[in-house]
Amino acid sequence: MLEFVLDRAPDLAYRSFQHVSLVVQCVLLATVIAVAVALLVTTVPRLKPVANFVSSVGLTVPSLALLGLMLPVVGIGTLPSVAVVTFYAALPILRNAVVGLEGVSGNLLESARGMGMNPLLTFLRVQLPLAWPVILAGLRVSTQMSMGVAAIAAYALGPGLGGWIFTGLAQIGGQNAVNYALTATIAIVVLALLLDLLLRVLGRFTISRGISA
Amino acid sequence: MSSDTATPAPPTDTPTAPQGERSRSSRRVSRDDLGLLLGLPALCAVLLGGWAVWRATAELDDIEARSLAWGLLVQLFGEHLLLTALSAAAVVLTAIPLGIALTRPAARRAAPAVVTVANFGQAAPAIGILILLAMWLGFGVPVAVLALSLYAFLPVLQNTIVGLQGVDQTLVEAARGMGMSRWSVLGRIELPLALPVIMAGVRTALVLAVGTAAFATFINAGGLGSVITTGLYLFRNSVLISGGLLIAVLALLVDWAGRVLELVATPKGMR
Repeated sequence: MLEFVLDRAPDLAYRSFQHVSLVVQCVLLATVIAVAVALLVTTVPRLKPVANFVSSVGLTVPSLALLGLMLPVVGIGTLPSVAVVTFYAALPILRNAVVGLEGVSGNLLESARGMGMNPLLTFLRVQLPLAWPVILAGLRVSTQMSMGVAAIAAYALGPGLGGWIFTGLAQIGGQNAVNYALTATIAIVVLALLLDLLLRVLGRFTISRGISA
Repeated sequence: MSSDTATPAPPTDTPTAPQGERSRSSRRVSRDDLGLLLGLPALCAVLLGGWAVWRATAELDDIEARSLAWGLLVQLFGEHLLLTALSAAAVVLTAIPLGIALTRPAARRAAPAVVTVANFGQAAPAIGILILLAMWLGFGVPVAVLALSLYAFLPVLQNTIVGLQGVDQTLVEAARGMGMSRWSVLGRIELPLALPVIMAGVRTALVLAVGTAAFATFINAGGLGSVITTGLYLFRNSVLISGGLLIAVLALLVDWAGRVLELVATPKGMR
């Protein structure tokens, strides 16, 4: 297996990069979408049951089913991967962002307004920093999940390490079948744990000092 | 769950919800839950009904008609459900006893280690585990059930441990003081009180299993996933969409059944 990995080191590195870059970009996109929706939901409370319904029902839908529903719309390749990964990544962040933003006390919002902050400034300097730890927890869940979802999305010829798992499946019985599937699976686990570590470190630096007891 | 465990939370609301929300299941049925309990079957009925009308009236070509034959779909639906049920049963029969064992005084110290190891396993992509197991042990239903069970094991184990640890120790002591044996304390005090949390784990396991069962077709273990692979290989969008829709509806129904189970299992005094 060592020989197998060494032989394909450039390909492995490239696929790992693709996989991580897909997940990171999709999670970033998902964070922006989810926080925006959460902001909407917290300002219009009537929408909250809808958001909760979407985030619990959405996570129930199996990724292969969503992929199947998506393919006729977006075709095969990178696009379905992006769509599916972003969809699943957005849900835990949305859930946590709603809880986090709701947790910001109304008194603080009033004081911010009293100090002359406009809504944008209030969001950036008061709401977001206070809700950030909870949002970040959702982000970590999303990232871990996305690493696995990205592997599945490779079934529709998406980028990343998932391709090797399906190569292994297609070549089953062949000399390198196990090597392909095993290397890809281990690489995904290792990369997922590394990303999680990175997010923890990010938490250290980005969680406001005042609330990180 | 505490937000600093390095796990991808299983795809349900419970584990990702921060601290304050977790005990919700042990309180009265909230409006959100009620919405889901009534909304889910309604949504499924609409989706399934709409699809059935389309299927009955649409003009399908030869390939589509064959891959979407009623008999075949019913058979695949049944296979999918069987895979889900078998693996959920396997998980319940192994993870709950293990969780109970790990919260007994003798083994209490081993619990964090076991959970950490299980966490590591959970980071592995389901599809990789399934295919590797199939390479190792061969294709077929038993291997699929094994893979699904492995994947769904952790949430039940973790919730069993958390649920039992959450039982007020003074109650346990009081029961012991009343002369109850350790076994009857477990059966009559600890388990009933921990049941809502354990059942939330079981529902998570069911949802994970039904989703992962879609991959069973890759290792010749049947299930609705084959509708999607057929649609992809034969380039028939109608088949692809039907497959996705049917799997999604099945998953939603299983989730709903889990929610009902959760509600029914909560002891009366705790509702």
